[in-house]
Amino acid sequence: MERSGAEILLQTLKEAGVEHIFGYPGANTLPVHDCLEESRIRHFLVRHEQAAAHAADGYARATGKIGVCLATSGPGATNLVTGIATAYMDSTPMIALTGQVTTNLLGSDAFQETDIIGITMPITKHSFLLTNENEIAATVREAVHIATTGRPGPVLIDMPRDILAKRTNSEEQHNFEISDSKAALLSDPDRRQLQQIARYLNAAEKPVLIIGGGVKLASAFIEMTNVITKGKIPFVTTMMGIGSVASTNGFNLGFIGTHGNDLANRIVHQSDFILAIGARFSDRSTSVIEEFAPLAKIAQIDVDPTSIGKNIKTDMSVICDIKVALDELITLIDDKERSDWWSRIKNERIQLKKNGSANGCGPAGDLIEQVQEAMPEKTIAVTDVGLNQIWTVRSWKVGIPRGLITSGGMGTMGFSVPAAMGAKIGASDREVVVFTGDGGFFMNIQELATISSYNLPLKIVVFNNGHLGMIRQIQDLFYNSRFRDSCLAGKIDISQISKGFGIPSEKVSVRNAGEGIQRMTGTDGPFILEVLVDEDNYVYPIIPPGRSNMEMIYGRSD
Amino acid sequence: MEIREHVISMLVNNRPGVLARVSGVFGRLGYNIESLCVAETISPKVSRITSVSKGDSQFMEKVRKALNRLVDVIEVTELEDTHSVKREMMLIGLSFDEKARAEIGQAVSMFGCSVVSMKDNYCIVQAVGNKMEVETILNYLKPIGVRDVCRSGAIALENK
Repeated sequence: MERSGAEILLQTLKEAGVEHIFGYPGANTLPVHDCLEESRIRHFLVRHEQAAAHAADGYARATGKIGVCLATSGPGATNLVTGIATAYMDSTPMIALTGQVTTNLLGSDAFQETDIIGITMPITKHSFLLTNENEIAATVREAVHIATTGRPGPVLIDMPRDILAKRTNSEEQHNFEISDSKAALLSDPDRRQLQQIARYLNAAEKPVLIIGGGVKLASAFIEMTNVITKGKIPFVTTMMGIGSVASTNGFNLGFIGTHGNDLANRIVHQSDFILAIGARFSDRSTSVIEEFAPLAKIAQIDVDPTSIGKNIKTDMSVICDIKVALDELITLIDDKERSDWWSRIKNERIQLKKNGSANGCGPAGDLIEQVQEAMPEKTIAVTDVGLNQIWTVRSWKVGIPRGLITSGGMGTMGFSVPAAMGAKIGASDREVVVFTGDGGFFMNIQELATISSYNLPLKIVVFNNGHLGMIRQIQDLFYNSRFRDSCLAGKIDISQISKGFGIPSEKVSVRNAGEGIQRMTGTDGPFILEVLVDEDNYVYPIIPPGRSNMEMIYGRSD
Repeated sequence: MEIREHVISMLVNNRPGVLARVSGVFGRLGYNIESLCVAETISPKVSRITSVSKGDSQFMEKVRKALNRLVDVIEVTELEDTHSVKREMMLIGLSFDEKARAEIGQAVSMFGCSVVSMKDNYCIVQAVGNKMEVETILNYLKPIGVRDVCRSGAIALENK
């Protein structure tokens, strides 16, 4: 049967399980848009290509399936860049499809031509330029394979318009047994190494698990919980690891790092053995690496060989799919009480409470807890970046897999609203709530049009403090309160903006939001809840730049 | 910190754009590539890249990790002197006068290299050997009148 390149592209994606694409058309992608309807893949028209990438990312994070975005050549493709980089930093399986000028014009500075493969080389796991319509099917299959296996990541396919338009009835196979064999190694852990890790874990007096985003990516929720429960091992998470195990799990000490919980940071510091699972010891988690967990032997389990010992020297490691490795590890670890270690942790917790440590988010944190109480149990929370993010990750109790979506590695402001659109479309049976600030909200505010036109029932909580809150906090603490360029206040009326987009909204004070929250959750479609917050509702404790995880501060020193 | 020379041998997919990805890794990490040699292996689907760089103690670990992250990289090996054979080819263009003709002939036979082109008073000498050998030949010929030099950079194989 004769098919166009675009038809082959979409049919192959459909065969790979793709059901939704987020995109924005341009002249060079019209062959694809022209046959989207027949492909039975549903296309969601966003209002800016960056949002298409974030939506695909949010879709993948909420479902575990691959997210797909589509943009035209030139500016369409470059607008995807921030979204692709965000997906790359947090290892989201994603396909970015970009239109390209016809092959005879490549390299001629043609209208809307840009070397998107060159631009995205450091922020994609891999990329392809289609040069032959007969190779499209094999390329798409390989792209999906690469994006979803090992450490997942975004793969870009650049598609010249003539290749998409050409019709063909043959299909050349090009094989990819090479990347296949690389992936095969990852499902078979080195048993001796795993036994060694188990031996150390069993013998350790003060062990801690550090759980990273890799556990979520491997969908190893049950396996991880089983290991913790059997060994009664205290665990901390990185910010990306939050939600890999239910936040309410009794062995949870919180998350580590710059904006993390003091208990988590202090216990890691005292530990004698650390097993990190799907965590790369990034600078945000370890602060000053030389002073991080000075007494501990360090073991690492990761699917990505390049993450082993990347930032910290590890004493032992296993490179393997995390789900498989944990499944074997559980048979090797002892069922232990660890009562000395736990009583020490308990004392530390009591001591910290006495010193006035709570979740440290003030009224904003309380509001997030109120919103959670008012929403169904399986609600997905999506955060933006800044104080709103730290308030949410500290206050929202993630009880279900994929219950929290946040941009960790890249820290992309403007991520939350489009990512939540993708999450809602992917997980339509679950409620989705956005926590954003007045900074990030405006960075992709055009997407209210997408939400409105598809009537996506997102609940959007906009914390309005008239400032870039986290920047203000840093300026307050470390730049002698010189609040340069961090004030956003003006004559902006979010309710008028919402009205213009046809979305109901309400403005409430953070201390008196109960009725507003009820009206938000009682509304069927989308709703924007603007919450007025004090500009000094900071997050404490915090680690000053250049200080170790043991040097958290609880307020201004003066 | 000890800076030394590292010879890396890579097997990569023989596809467009692969060299750009590989060389991009070195540049992004701040390392210079001193020489680079790329050609097809016994399988037309696979190319071997041999690169030489100077680097500190972290060099190999950083480069290896970043290279292994590339989908098109199949294998990365550092070749140590003790376990590998390294060769380089050098083409040396010489301008000479009649007096030097005999001297060139003598050098060529002494070093076991060959004259591969001769036109009027310009000839090209081909030298093959390890780095020290080809550099010795070059230094010997310099006083006669070396005009151009082209070096292949190292190629190397592990002796298994």
